[in-house]
Amino acid sequence: MSMPPRSRTGSGPLLAGLIIAAVVLVGIVALAAAGATPASVWNSFFPMHGTGGVTDRSTSVQNLYDIVFYIAVVIFLLVEGLIVWSVFRYRRKPTDTDLPPQTHGNNLIEVIWTIVPTAIVIFLFVASWQTLNTVDAAAPAQVNVRAVAAQFQWSFDYLDEQGGTVFTQQLPSGEAGGLVLPVGEPVHIELRSADVIHAFYVPKFLFKRDVVPGKDNTFDFTVEEPGTYGGQCAELCGSGHAAMVFDVHAVSRAEYDTWLTDQVAQANATPAPAPSGEAAGPTIELEALNVAFNTGTLEAPKDAPFTIHFKNDDNGVPHNVEIKDGGGAEAFKGDIVTGVTETSYAVPPLPAGSYTFLCTVHPNMTGTLTVQ
Amino acid sequence: MATTTLNPAAPAYRSTLYEWLTTTDHKKIGIMYLINSMIFFVAGGALALVVRIQLVTPKNADVVGGLVTPDFYNQAFTMHASFMLFLFVIPILAGFGNYAVPLQIGAPDMAFPRINALSFWLLPLGGLLMASGFFVSGGSAAAGWTEYPPLSSQLGTGTDLWIMGLTLIGTSSILGAINFLVTIFKMRAPGLTLFRMPILTWTVLVTSVLVLMATPVLTSALIMLFIDRNYGGHFFDPNNGGNAVLYQNVFWFYSHPAVYIMVLPAMGIISEVLPVFSRKPLFGYKAFVFATVGIGALGFSVWAHHMFTTGAVFLPFFSLMTFLIAVPTGVKMFNWIATMWRGQLSVSTPLLFAVGFLSMFLIGGLNGAFAAAVPVDFALHDTYWVVAHIHYVLFGGSVFAVFAGIYYWFPKMTGRMLGEGLGKLQFILMFIGFNLTFFPMHQLGLAGMPRRIADYASTAGWTELNVLATIGGFVIALSTLPFFWNVLVSLRNGRIAGDDPWEANTLEWATSSPPPPYNFDHLPEIRSERPVFDARHGRTAAH
Repeated sequence: MSMPPRSRTGSGPLLAGLIIAAVVLVGIVALAAAGATPASVWNSFFPMHGTGGVTDRSTSVQNLYDIVFYIAVVIFLLVEGLIVWSVFRYRRKPTDTDLPPQTHGNNLIEVIWTIVPTAIVIFLFVASWQTLNTVDAAAPAQVNVRAVAAQFQWSFDYLDEQGGTVFTQQLPSGEAGGLVLPVGEPVHIELRSADVIHAFYVPKFLFKRDVVPGKDNTFDFTVEEPGTYGGQCAELCGSGHAAMVFDVHAVSRAEYDTWLTDQVAQANATPAPAPSGEAAGPTIELEALNVAFNTGTLEAPKDAPFTIHFKNDDNGVPHNVEIKDGGGAEAFKGDIVTGVTETSYAVPPLPAGSYTFLCTVHPNMTGTLTVQ
Repeated sequence: MATTTLNPAAPAYRSTLYEWLTTTDHKKIGIMYLINSMIFFVAGGALALVVRIQLVTPKNADVVGGLVTPDFYNQAFTMHASFMLFLFVIPILAGFGNYAVPLQIGAPDMAFPRINALSFWLLPLGGLLMASGFFVSGGSAAAGWTEYPPLSSQLGTGTDLWIMGLTLIGTSSILGAINFLVTIFKMRAPGLTLFRMPILTWTVLVTSVLVLMATPVLTSALIMLFIDRNYGGHFFDPNNGGNAVLYQNVFWFYSHPAVYIMVLPAMGIISEVLPVFSRKPLFGYKAFVFATVGIGALGFSVWAHHMFTTGAVFLPFFSLMTFLIAVPTGVKMFNWIATMWRGQLSVSTPLLFAVGFLSMFLIGGLNGAFAAAVPVDFALHDTYWVVAHIHYVLFGGSVFAVFAGIYYWFPKMTGRMLGEGLGKLQFILMFIGFNLTFFPMHQLGLAGMPRRIADYASTAGWTELNVLATIGGFVIALSTLPFFWNVLVSLRNGRIAGDDPWEANTLEWATSSPPPPYNFDHLPEIRSERPVFDARHGRTAAH
């Protein structure tokens, strides 16, 4: 049984054109409203939105990305152009009652469009293999750090030449925490997992490597630009996965030496006597479970000392309570305690205002403290 | 009292429901595959919306009062992927195979009709088992659809239910694959040589080989994981001599070929639709068959490209093989375009979805090349770039092909046409929603947003793109409404289709719509891969 041709040279292409135009228009208006410029849109197609990486290896990764990107764009425009052209050009007309030429194929053209893509992908493979050798190259390093990942925080062991730990950075992020490294010289990182698989990922390094229990992965790199770079766990590790963030502080060699000496000295010094722990003023209850506080809001009286009774219900996970004022300056920082345990923090008098409380180890755990 | 009758249609007291629940007719089973898959598509889609709502702003818990806990968030994306992959894409393509393959090869049914029914019924059973995790303490599986140990060894009973459910689903696939292979090799009509088989049948054949070789390996990984969890095994426990990466090797040895299990039959559907709606034969039929076989073979040598960052695989080999698998895929793309080239295209809904497949699958291929370049993968692995990639392949690719297939075969299955207006509306909404959701994920990945995180900092700069993706997610959800409405309305009031509404090529269009039990009263002469075309145009010689 046969039917009349199903499409006519009618409103079809016009309607399609209108829909496409409307979508493009809405898209442009939305992008403009969100503050996007043509340059920012173009940059968004590149690693770190055009700002690139900061290690010696990231340049070669960026170059490789650019090669793949431009080849992909050319192929996309070519093939998508052919698809769109075919659909608009070869639509069935009412006069098309006879069949079009019944072409079954062409061996020559099959060979061509097998060989040309093969050549392209082999070129890409060679380019990426060369880059891989750069990225994975070992470098004799003065700075050796073991990054230890555990559910759900990072810590960093600074190692001496024999592999012994001279100092452990317990705080994964913040100004006083994080992985501090000297710029301009090779760094060797060893990855160790205390429990499940994690991944060490610093977006600005354009690099990640899995932290596999039972297998210590290593890699080398040199940070070339001083600055603070965020990193986080990139392999799902449980309910606190999103909280596993850390900072990398890349500083000058002199600053690094001073910092490390200070930290080692502090670590070796007799620990300061803990705050007397005597409850002063009213007591506020706070609890941490599953890498989250049980409340997002706390209230305290102004200009009077108070006590935070803090329960850490996360087994094996370190938490504390830190209070920052509206400007982000530290107003109080409690000792880190590893769960399951509870402790009391004696907080000094605070002027009235709105403060942020957070866990120093897991800066995603935050809330608002209103002092009035 | 039991009676024996030679006429299987005789007992009038059987209700329609009873008839469907006990049927061994491949057509009914195929349709049940489609319905079951659609139910899990809706469930998986709802879970995807949970993910999208959670990510619409940073610190979502503070804004919307804690929509979901991180625990439930992990369950939501784990079960979203498990439903979509194991209970929607794989089975719905098996459903098309079930419905179409015996018809396309001129057979009365599958070779083993009761095993066919068994492989279907294992699916809702496995699916319910998997989903029942939501109702046990600790919730459903939550270690991602990949369920990497040691994390998956830590979590609650939901993981055991997930393992058991998936083992049943795997068993269903294996039984189905054997059934397809025997059917295709032993039950083709006279004259239907291998190189006259419709491409969908070819892709089901290759897919069945992949299933048969890969799925038992997945089952072994699942059983080892189950032993580790419940019987003190240490296969994947590094503290006791096990190896955590071993699971990944075994898992991906199945799950990468599984990507082709999810894509090859979709390519088969596209290869049925494009020639019919272009009024031309498929360009390069044999090249197409060889490309399909090539993808199937190469598909077994690329699994470790999911593991480039583990530091435990030989990178150059897997990089090279991954690049090479782009070649047969590219050959197919060019053959599809050449099929449309100088044709007479009827821009109906099946063709629109097929062209949508070509455009989106193209992007899914190209953004995959970035991840094949190992150093670039170090930057992009486990970020939203990868989420964009899999969705361009499996949604822009397979799901668009699924809808092309539904609009194409619905008239054959039901005897009625689906409405064109609603079909086009669905396509436009789905196409826009899909790109709005998944295109910004490229940029999110490039900006360093890892996948599977329940929250992110407001300073990360990821907010606007996440808002776009969430809006897109709701547009996709909206686009399914005209579809379901279309199905409901067309079942009652759709235009009567007749045997061959599309002027198609393959044998299923030579019988009535819907076909009678056992399919054919008589078969046309088979002298080429387009017997119905030949009959329509009075050609009997091979050409």
